[in-house]
Amino acid sequence: MSEQGETGEAITILLVEDDAPTCWRLQDALVKAGYEVRSAGTLAEARSALAEAAPRVLLTDLRLPDGHGVELIREIRQRFPDTEIMVISALGDEESVISAITVGATGYLLKDAFPTDIATTVRDLVAGHSPISASIARFIVRRTQGAAQSSAEPSPGPVLNTAKLTPREIDILWGIAKGFSYAEIASHLGLSRQTVPGHIKNIYRKLEVHTRSEAVFEAVQQGLIKL
Amino acid sequence: MSEIAAKAPTRPRRRLIASRLVPYLLLQALIVIATILGLRLVPPDDPDDYAVSEFTLRENGAAQPVTLPHYTSSRYSLGDPPLYNGTFNFRSGDAATAWSVFLPRFSNGVEVAVNGVVVMDSRRDDTANRPDRNTPAIALIPSSLLRDGPNRLTVRLFVWGPLKGFLDSVYVGPDASLRPAYETRALLFVTLPVVFSAWQSLLAVILAIMWLMRRREPVYGVLAAGMLVGAVQAFVPAPVPPAPYPRLAAILLASAPIESALVVVFAVLFFGWRWPRYGLLLFAPGLIILAVGLFAGQPVPRITFLFLGVPTVGLCLMLLAFIVTKAVIKRQDAASFTIGCAVSIVLTCWFHDMLSVFEIVPDERIFVTRLSYSAMLVAIGAGLTWRFARALNQVDSFAGQLVARVREAEERLKASFAREEERARAAALANERTRLMRDLHDGLGGQLVSIVALSERGHEGATITDAARAALKDLRLVIDSMDDMGGDLMLALGSWRERATAQLRPHDIALDWRVATPQGLPLHPELRPWHVIQVVRILDEAVTNAVKHAQAGNVAVTIETLDGGQGPYGVISVTDDGRGFAPSGNGASQTARGLRNMRSRAACCGAVLDLSSDGSGTRVRLQLPQVFPDSDAAGG
Repeated sequence: MSEQGETGEAITILLVEDDAPTCWRLQDALVKAGYEVRSAGTLAEARSALAEAAPRVLLTDLRLPDGHGVELIREIRQRFPDTEIMVISALGDEESVISAITVGATGYLLKDAFPTDIATTVRDLVAGHSPISASIARFIVRRTQGAAQSSAEPSPGPVLNTAKLTPREIDILWGIAKGFSYAEIASHLGLSRQTVPGHIKNIYRKLEVHTRSEAVFEAVQQGLIKL
Repeated sequence: MSEIAAKAPTRPRRRLIASRLVPYLLLQALIVIATILGLRLVPPDDPDDYAVSEFTLRENGAAQPVTLPHYTSSRYSLGDPPLYNGTFNFRSGDAATAWSVFLPRFSNGVEVAVNGVVVMDSRRDDTANRPDRNTPAIALIPSSLLRDGPNRLTVRLFVWGPLKGFLDSVYVGPDASLRPAYETRALLFVTLPVVFSAWQSLLAVILAIMWLMRRREPVYGVLAAGMLVGAVQAFVPAPVPPAPYPRLAAILLASAPIESALVVVFAVLFFGWRWPRYGLLLFAPGLIILAVGLFAGQPVPRITFLFLGVPTVGLCLMLLAFIVTKAVIKRQDAASFTIGCAVSIVLTCWFHDMLSVFEIVPDERIFVTRLSYSAMLVAIGAGLTWRFARALNQVDSFAGQLVARVREAEERLKASFAREEERARAAALANERTRLMRDLHDGLGGQLVSIVALSERGHEGATITDAARAALKDLRLVIDSMDDMGGDLMLALGSWRERATAQLRPHDIALDWRVATPQGLPLHPELRPWHVIQVVRILDEAVTNAVKHAQAGNVAVTIETLDGGQGPYGVISVTDDGRGFAPSGNGASQTARGLRNMRSRAACCGAVLDLSSDGSGTRVRLQLPQVFPDSDAAGG
């Protein structure tokens, strides 16, 4: 049995991870789930793999021997806008995950996740459901609070512009941060449960900074808002 | 020799006094000479071409030829005044120009008639009646009175004693030639005193205000009083016998000695001396004159004034000179020098007037004391105002210094405050670090050691995996707890739910998550990461027990906020449907140890742990404190 996209072809995954055992583990879980997995240990290997064909899904570690995963994410986001991108993280800490989100990643995968969870996460991702964890949601809503309180000191951690988020999106993030399920959030906010993943996808898009100059501009804008 | 040695210590002092006194006295001598020379210039030149000096004086029934200027004897009656008869020539060729009769100086009053017709009576002019002012008089002669050739000029001189009557040369001629001389005298002896008096009254007001605002400095008040007396004296009309208010004359007469005594008081205070016990005696002559003036009719007060008041003025001036000289020797400052010079000038003028009054030096009887005295007072007043302004400047600069100092102190305080804050922050950080280390040591460290031990003994598979997963979970817990929750424990529980769900999923245990109250748990602004760690570890322990020992199929977490009337508090319950255990079981078992652990963790963050277990399941109820403790000393 193999996972297939709308065209009927097998879903291709590019897995970039320099630690061999971790790579094997993830690859095993994904292959077992029916995905077509190519793996790369370095940025260079990943780029040469990209030369052949665009993967449907990119799973990448951030610390690589010859560079940072963020560079790869940015490249792929520009060249293949349809590719779903996820970060592989050991701890799921916001420092690494948020920086990946701002260049186009939609969520993260824990390196020690159970094989079934790995497969489920990727399947959801391909189905258009970008997962968001409570700690990442918490980080984002704490940022919106910080911006609202217009604190003079910049918050620690990566730069994140939350100005574009709507109050409803922020409410959804609050719900996730407090551990509510999508169904609970939907019922609290008077939404249909099915629309919540769409809102989360929107949140990811809004947090994405498209170009370097835009990043600078938004940082300045954020500074101006804080004044 | 020994005598000289004994006197030695006083010698430098004497030398110092001498070295200061001699130049000062020389300077004063120069000033006296300059004043005398200046006084010679005071009577302005009169148009001598038109002088009429040859008169026949009819006095007490007898007639005698006199040459003006002329003194007559003092008298106390206005009846039958001395009558001066003279003639002047008028040429009809001069008819085109108006002629005047000009009297530069007379005392005390004159009535001038031309060809028997009165053209002027000085008694109706208030300023002319003041013997201390040298008021001139001029009158146009109606042309109809003038005859070609010799004309008769009659001057009646009214004298009220005790001063002798005086009549200076009389001038008759074209008005155009006489008027300038008159104007010069009027400016000098009428307008200038008025100007000085106006100035004096202004200063009196200013000084009085200063004194009212600064009662501690009576020096301003004394000078203000002196100037006020002077100003009143200058503007109150002099009574002419028969005056409507003869009592008024008493005030006028008493003013000069009182005023000069006040100035002495001022000098004493100004130079910082102690007021001598009998100092008030200085006011006695003035008060005596006042009393005499109020109770006795003229001319007694005037006589009293001449023989009591005038010497008092002189005495005061000499006292003033003495005080100032001592001050000059002691202080050597600009103020004492200036006042000293002013006093010398006034004193010279006073002597000049005395010589004139007693006819020791005959002259044109020009009195200058009053004028110079007014000028001196004005100078002193101006000096005081200047001193006041300078004091204000000093206050300003003092205030400026104060502001700078306060700013400096503020900055120092700010710096020290920042240092203190930095220190507190560093202490808090170190505290936090210590706790973190302890947590890592207790949790992660132990688990990693356990992994090492297991792998060394050749264990395979599940046991090591479980230990490693537990270590990772603990690491994530610590990292997660370090994040800023903003006092909302729900945010920590949110990510714990994810971890617990992931932990339970492989065992096919469902996590039932119930938040009973909409806001979940109350906010705790005092919430610190180590509180979060303790709470989440308790929950972890409860879930782990459910998985490992109870073989539960369902775990429920209930979060609610209760209010027992003393403010809201949170309660977190973990319930499973496992087989349960005996809470009071063997203290050595792993369960019992885990239980003890949970209790001590709960105690150390002020929470109450309630545990019940039976065959149908286990329920762990954690009641959170209303306020989390700042330190874990409460635990134990």
